[in-house]
Amino acid sequence: MVCLLLFSSAALPASADGEADAYHYSYYGDAVPAPAAYEASMIITGRTLNISSFKEPSDMHVTPDERVYVLDSGNGRIVELDRNFKLVRTIDSFKNAGKQDQFKNPQGLFVTEKGDLLVADSENHRVVHLDDKGQLVKIVSEPKSDLLNEDFQFKPIRIVMDKGERIYVMAAGVFDGFMEFSADGEFSSFIGANRVQVDPVEYLWKRFATREQRSQMVMFTPTEFTNLDMDEEGFIYATSGDRGKDPIKKLNAQGTDILRREGYAAPQGDLRYSTEGGASRLIDVDVGDSDMYSVLDSNKGRIFTYNGDGYLLHIFGGIGNRTGMFNTPVALERAGDRMLVLDKALGEITVFETTEYGRILHDAVRSYYNGEEDQSSQLFAKAAEMNANLEYAYAGIGKALLRQKEYAESAEYFKQSMERKGYSKAFLLYRKELMREHFSWVMSGIFLAAAAFVTVIIVRRQKRRTTNAGIK
Amino acid sequence: MQASSKQLYQYPLHLIFHPFDGYWELKYERNQKTTLLIALMIMVLLIVTKILQAQYSGFLINYNNPKYLNSLLEMVYVIVPVLFWCIANWSLTTLMDGEGKFSEIFMSTCFALVPMFLVHFPWIWLSLAISEQETAFYYFSNAIAVCWTIYLLFVGNMTVHQYTPAKTILTMLLTLVAMAFMAFLCLLFFSLVQQIVSFVYTIYQELVLRG
Repeated sequence: MVCLLLFSSAALPASADGEADAYHYSYYGDAVPAPAAYEASMIITGRTLNISSFKEPSDMHVTPDERVYVLDSGNGRIVELDRNFKLVRTIDSFKNAGKQDQFKNPQGLFVTEKGDLLVADSENHRVVHLDDKGQLVKIVSEPKSDLLNEDFQFKPIRIVMDKGERIYVMAAGVFDGFMEFSADGEFSSFIGANRVQVDPVEYLWKRFATREQRSQMVMFTPTEFTNLDMDEEGFIYATSGDRGKDPIKKLNAQGTDILRREGYAAPQGDLRYSTEGGASRLIDVDVGDSDMYSVLDSNKGRIFTYNGDGYLLHIFGGIGNRTGMFNTPVALERAGDRMLVLDKALGEITVFETTEYGRILHDAVRSYYNGEEDQSSQLFAKAAEMNANLEYAYAGIGKALLRQKEYAESAEYFKQSMERKGYSKAFLLYRKELMREHFSWVMSGIFLAAAAFVTVIIVRRQKRRTTNAGIK
Repeated sequence: MQASSKQLYQYPLHLIFHPFDGYWELKYERNQKTTLLIALMIMVLLIVTKILQAQYSGFLINYNNPKYLNSLLEMVYVIVPVLFWCIANWSLTTLMDGEGKFSEIFMSTCFALVPMFLVHFPWIWLSLAISEQETAFYYFSNAIAVCWTIYLLFVGNMTVHQYTPAKTILTMLLTLVAMAFMAFLCLLFFSLVQQIVSFVYTIYQELVLRG
């Protein structure tokens, strides 16, 4: 049996660890080929901007009007580009109490809608808040609270700010979730901690181990988050590096995970991977419009995009030396229809443009999100034409056919999409229609059958009686 | 007793509705050869049902990946558990002074599977015409079939071995443990054989490449 399994997996058209660039996961979790949704179009480095090259850049942010901010950690500066990727300015210092102050290996950057800059100044153990001119607004340093240990060292790594100017900080060595700071820079609480996940086998060993052995073992600690992003409505999307139960989360204000996982598999990056290659390590998340979000896997350098319901839309990228592949991708941002990926070791940004397929797919998701079902079903039909493996698209067609009262066809499309709820709905209506159409002869057929059955029984009984009488 | 074609289906149907009578007849009154034949036929029918079920069940209840459907494996999934059960049961009951012979254990087990076939077979076709809410009926009747089968197994065991009810339940539970043990031994055996084969193959390769 093992042999059979091996053989069948070798026969897959595109394996997750194989050569194929663009692939997709089917309902059954098999990797299947798919057309590319994005194409690398440009590479931005320090040289193309006529400034000194990037040194270990670690974060990037794109505003809704598509201005790009790059946090060049090694050089301790922020580089701002306009929507055509032309240099606007660099910020490498700011005035703090009359003196020039600088960043020391900053790791995280966030730009608000007003254009305010928030920098997680990691080595200086503080968060720096600058306005759009680069003037200091405030500094959030070592928080004091009963919730924190005496020897706690504040080392912010990633950062976002919501519309109420509350700051959420992902700090190194913090397992209790994100640190929430109020608008005036006071630490208020933690939100959204990951649960501790206990391996039952390991737990059993630990029960039997002696105290000395136990001290050598790994502690059960909750997984740390690797990144966070905020959508338009103020929900925080967060990724965890370990392959826990849910490596992607959408947190509401209370810190409860409200991510929808209605797709064929829970959003988690690669579904199939080799033991040596390891699972996806998600290190960045970017929320786009219409609830679509993308995550970046640093292990294989792939970008996975999901829609708001948790259906996988497309996969692209990879580790390699070609254009469109990365060495050590660290940050992912969407600028309109373009996707930007920041590479830390190479110090460059790869710009991806959508292909026709990608555009159609995105537009289909968008129009469905906006309630324009007819348009979305047409677009889904187009997308399915370009990618027959996109099972998700067939449900969109099925929904439109259902409203056009083409029940049988609708059920067929839902079946293609493995959408059992939709199928059931279409099938019920189809069955009702069929029954109504053929009610007369179905009913008379049943009636006749019943009559025939009763006659046979009576005749048999009569016969038995006569033979019994004959014996007597 | 003569084997008439009518008997072939009448006896199993009689047995599942009147298990105490049926199993008594099986042990003491019936022609063993005919009964064995019927038992084998039940198993074949169950296999056919399983195969058809995997392929043709309605979409709403069929979660099989058509790519990995394998009729031979479906066959193994029926035969191996039944044989394991019979062997484990026989090994145990010989030690626990049961009066059943192996053939009797096998036959009683096969006859206990009749409800499985009777319930599952029509549902292959019925499941094509149900909606999602109605799948509850499907799962419910499946549960009934399983309960019925367990009850028949219980009565069969009791009659064949002439046990008290309590002892029968104990034996059945122990049989399950024995089955797990057997499965473990089989896996161990296969993995050892595999290792030996790979070892021999490595030596062969070494020789070929040196030469």
